[in-house]
Amino acid sequence: MNFPGSGLIKGMWVTLVNGVGSFFDPQRSKRLITEQYPEERPKLAEASRSFPFLIFDNDPEAGIRCTSCKICEKECPPQCIFIEQDKDANGKLFRRPKVFNIDISVCMSCQICVEVCPFESIRMDNIYEMSSYDRFGSLVVTKAQLLKSNEYYHGIHPTEAATTDARIEAARIKKAAAAKVTAEKAAAAKAAAAAKAAEEKAVSEKAEPPQPEQTA
Amino acid sequence: MHDLIQKLTALPWDQSPQWLFLIPAGLMLLAAAAAVALRNLIHSALCLTLSFIALGVLFIALGAEFVGFVQLLVYVGAVAMLIIFAILLTPASEVSASNNPFRSFKLSRAVNAVAGGAVVALVLAGLFTAIFFSPRVRAAVPSPNAAAPVALIGENLLTHTLLPLQGTAILLTAALIGAALLAKEEKES
Amino acid sequence: MNLENLPLAILKAILDAFTWCGAKAGIVVPPWALTLVSILIVIVAILSVFLVMFALMSVLERKILGRMQNRYGPNRVGPWGLFQPVADGIKMLTKEDLVPRSADQIVHFLAPIAMVIPALMLPAILPYGRGMVPVELASGILYFFALGAGTEVAVFMAGWSSNNKYSILGAMRAIAQMISYELPLVMSAVIAALVAGTLSPNGIVMAQAGVSFGVVPNWFVFTPWGFAACILFYIGALAESNRSPFDLPEGESELVAGHLTEYSGFKYAIFFMAEYIGMFAINGLLVTLFLGGYQAPFPFLEWIPSWCWFFAKLAFVAFSMVWVRATMPRFRIDQMMQFAWKFMLPMSFVALIAAAAWHYAGRGLAAWGISFLIVAVPYLLLGRFCFTRRHTVDNRRYLFSE
Repeated sequence: MNFPGSGLIKGMWVTLVNGVGSFFDPQRSKRLITEQYPEERPKLAEASRSFPFLIFDNDPEAGIRCTSCKICEKECPPQCIFIEQDKDANGKLFRRPKVFNIDISVCMSCQICVEVCPFESIRMDNIYEMSSYDRFGSLVVTKAQLLKSNEYYHGIHPTEAATTDARIEAARIKKAAAAKVTAEKAAAAKAAAAAKAAEEKAVSEKAEPPQPEQTA
Repeated sequence: MHDLIQKLTALPWDQSPQWLFLIPAGLMLLAAAAAVALRNLIHSALCLTLSFIALGVLFIALGAEFVGFVQLLVYVGAVAMLIIFAILLTPASEVSASNNPFRSFKLSRAVNAVAGGAVVALVLAGLFTAIFFSPRVRAAVPSPNAAAPVALIGENLLTHTLLPLQGTAILLTAALIGAALLAKEEKES
Repeated sequence: MNLENLPLAILKAILDAFTWCGAKAGIVVPPWALTLVSILIVIVAILSVFLVMFALMSVLERKILGRMQNRYGPNRVGPWGLFQPVADGIKMLTKEDLVPRSADQIVHFLAPIAMVIPALMLPAILPYGRGMVPVELASGILYFFALGAGTEVAVFMAGWSSNNKYSILGAMRAIAQMISYELPLVMSAVIAALVAGTLSPNGIVMAQAGVSFGVVPNWFVFTPWGFAACILFYIGALAESNRSPFDLPEGESELVAGHLTEYSGFKYAIFFMAEYIGMFAINGLLVTLFLGGYQAPFPFLEWIPSWCWFFAKLAFVAFSMVWVRATMPRFRIDQMMQFAWKFMLPMSFVALIAAAAWHYAGRGLAAWGISFLIVAVPYLLLGRFCFTRRHTVDNRRYLFSE
């Protein structure tokens, strides 16, 4: 039966059935798709990123990977990173940052600092609930707030962390192998030098016959 | 003075209190004066609308409910809208003139104002005498069927004043067709 | 004391208490003071009922829309989100009231006032129950539409004073829509008044008393012409209160907010309130004219008080407006105009003829059949052939391509 207005009536029937049915549906939670926010958090994708953080292995003081080379500070487009290098007991510059501040009100999450870091020490976090009541002060995150363990990194970005760890492991093996080769070469060179010295001594001894045997 | 006005304006069926007449009437006069005096055309159109509303209220206060509501419905709802649309569609509304009431004093302007005021006073006096001293108004009596004025008006329209009613219908139809024709775009052929 | 007379009994009790207080203080309360107090109490009662309905409606509408769209509505503030209007009110009151510098300050200020005054005066003539009409006007229906005309001026004031091209465009479209749909609206109301023989709302409700053929209540909506007139009135009511699908003047994606663009904070809340109260008032008129007002459908249901019936029917009509909003997409302005002038106006005249035929054929079964034919045939013809003009486009001018 298709009279003018029948489409409207069919549409209204569909809406009514849908609306009333949503009260009696046993699968209500799947049908009503609203995510009740503070109780249910959204499931973020693995590569989602918000602001950077610093990684340490095992110890927040000694295991910090950052060597304050300041490459990320130079490469950051909005210049939101501020690094100050540490000085050891004698006043000599030490390869560790004393101050590492990121202004997250400026940071645009471009991930360039992550791409240029040679020491795999800065990575992107995915915490987005960082709002504050203060417009300036509490939006500058310091080193203590930025340092998070490698296990935490594995927790939020497993694939990326596995790749990074593999890369670090490979670099360590290569370095160890290279060191072994250098050590072997040094040892071989030392042995060769020692052999050569002994040979020269034998040659010089042969050239000069022993004199004390002729006097009687 | 008050007694004089009361004696002059006391009509046989005028039972409503004075303030019920004075407030809408005063508002209407004020709005009409503002409509004439204001520089901004839209402002003066809105003041004119206010005077229409006040006139409608006046009709209702005097007991003519039907006429009052129809005044509001037709004048405020349609005629005022028409005036405003006409103002908007003409370039005159874009001219913003200064609204300074204290312009420099010129003798010619003062003479104009006085002469205009005199003419207005003469016209009003003529209307006043015509209305309040006419025998027909004096002799009229309140309708016995005051409870159903709408039915009476309808009956009157369809029996005594049928010809003007049909004439108005033809006039309105012609106006509608004319408006539609004017608004129709010429097809380029 | 039965439930039916409860509101009037409360009013009388308050007036008696007032007199008693006066007597205790030694003054004899003059009759004009009693009238004044009774008028004030009635005004306060109606306004508070309508404002509470407005608040509830704003949250229930969102929840019902949500359920029909497979989501929850607001459910954070209060049980089931029912205190959301409180949060909304606080937000509206504390928002900064921005007025553009180039806007016409006086007219911009007066526009919400000019909008809300007619809206608040509208519910005065509706019969809420037996003997419960605040103002008994002989030409109440006319009063209603006269006030609706005042709303149009306010819309224009709002749009023009904002000095913003979207506002003025939105205001023009809103006024064009309101004027176009006022005609079928008034015609449908006139049809009901015609059959009832009076313009007084109470009289029209009284004319719908009783049951005919034993099962069908005498409400006008159950007659063919009354059904057509009710649908036309309903569509006109949707258009007059700028509700979806006629909310082009205030659709966000169309014209920012149309004539309401430059209004923020409390002034916007006033416009919002005026729109909703106008919607309730016109729904009340629909209930009065076509749905039998405060009368129960069958005599055995008379034990439910008449004012309960009125508000139940009003709630049903308001729910149906939310339902329509959830279902139908927005009209385009030219579609809206065509619909009003080419379909609704001829249908309203057809309904008038059908009503006259029904009356003169004796109001019986045969009359029902005749008027059904008179309504149905033009409806089918108009609906089928009204909008099927093929628009041939020739000489299309492409401005930016070869």
